Amino acid sequence: MQNVDPTLPLRLQEIVDLFQNLPEEEKRELLIAYSDRSSECAPKEGETYTLSDVRKDQECTDSVGVFLKADSENRLLFRMSLGAHVQTLTKAMASILCQGLAGSTAEEVMAVPSSFVPKIVGTELVRQRSQTVYYILARMKSACRQLVAERRRAECVGSTS
Amino acid sequence: MKTYSHPEALVETAWLTDHLQDPGIRIVESNEDVLLYDTGHIPGAVHIDWRADLNDPVIRDYIAPEKFAALCRKNGIDETTTCIFYGDKSNWWACYALWAFRLYGHERVKILNGGRDKWIREGRPLVREKPSYPETTYPVPTARHDKEIRAFYEEVRAFLTTGGPLIDVRSPGEFTGELLHMPEYPQEGALRGGHIPGAKSVPWKAAVREDGTFRSAEELSRIYEESCGLSSDRESIVYCRIGERSSHTWFVLTYLLGHKKVRNYDGSWTEWGNKVGAPIQRP
Repeated sequence: MQNVDPTLPLRLQEIVDLFQNLPEEEKRELLIAYSDRSSECAPKEGETYTLSDVRKDQECTDSVGVFLKADSENRLLFRMSLGAHVQTLTKAMASILCQGLAGSTAEEVMAVPSSFVPKIVGTELVRQRSQTVYYILARMKSACRQLVAERRRAECVGSTS
Repeated sequence: MKTYSHPEALVETAWLTDHLQDPGIRIVESNEDVLLYDTGHIPGAVHIDWRADLNDPVIRDYIAPEKFAALCRKNGIDETTTCIFYGDKSNWWACYALWAFRLYGHERVKILNGGRDKWIREGRPLVREKPSYPETTYPVPTARHDKEIRAFYEEVRAFLTTGGPLIDVRSPGEFTGELLHMPEYPQEGALRGGHIPGAKSVPWKAAVREDGTFRSAEELSRIYEESCGLSSDRESIVYCRIGERSSHTWFVLTYLLGHKKVRNYDGSWTEWGNKVGAPIQRP
């Protein structure tokens, strides 16, 4: 492993390592491969979620849904629904982050620094499309914040009743 | 029945399917989505990115004529090649690339009606293989035709005094000043909202149908000529945020309605809305 960032979940660090030393062209090819697999992170029929947040934001060309499922140890499973016009980079990041953040806690996801993104995407694409590449991580963190807030609210209610 | 002034500037998807192998044409994909071409493109199409290939990497301007010639050479385009542009977002960037090609004097240009979405919707083939063409000897353009089809800030200021028609093709929210940027692009905003005094609001989308193809000549004439007072010999200027949506309207006015004096103010709202002292109108 190279340039390990202690704040990155192990799975995500492995993906970053995979990308980091690739030449720009091969980075693009790997991003396309992740984008191609983005449908695999779509919500599954019969699966129930602790939290879901589907919306079309100003930063995105189509609607993006974040679905969270927390297990008994508060480890998370992410699913994402992506509208037909969501851009390729956004799809790739959704696929990477669903895989890389699986099994993390909400607190761990909220602590993920965005500095790993240029290592995956390459500085050229980050420069051109800065909002697109950071969007999915921002949405996942937002869902985690919501989840933590709801958990705290539930704890407060529990302690006062 | 009114017809397009330059119907030859449009090709239909069926026609292109039958002419993919024509040696005299080069199909050029230009998109908003930077990786879209890599996910699949029309067989034989080359990719020209509006920012990486056509814009100067440092100064806000287009590449030098030498770089334009090099871009054409490496994509197998010579001065006799007919470039057929298509892309995502109802051909915004395709029209922008076409307009940029015209800046360098490349006149043989066309748009694929309906763009990438229509091609895909009709189940036509896409490939991932990137084509390679023999390098050409495209000559370095001796001049850039900014004067004819491009407007600069000072020229727009001067144009205001003539009362000439200025068309704002942004969304209604951007025109009224309610939005400081286009919904999807918060990083490309301006410090002030509103529109250039006297500009008429005709969002770019007015020119296309639901399927992304251009409206009929009669419909376009009603929108731009009857309602806005534009006409073939009258000067007009179009603008948006950075010049891509207005390139689309520029194409409509220039090629489909045959207006001879249309200029695209590509500095657009990201220049005007950030400029100290620029006059702004809000409803």
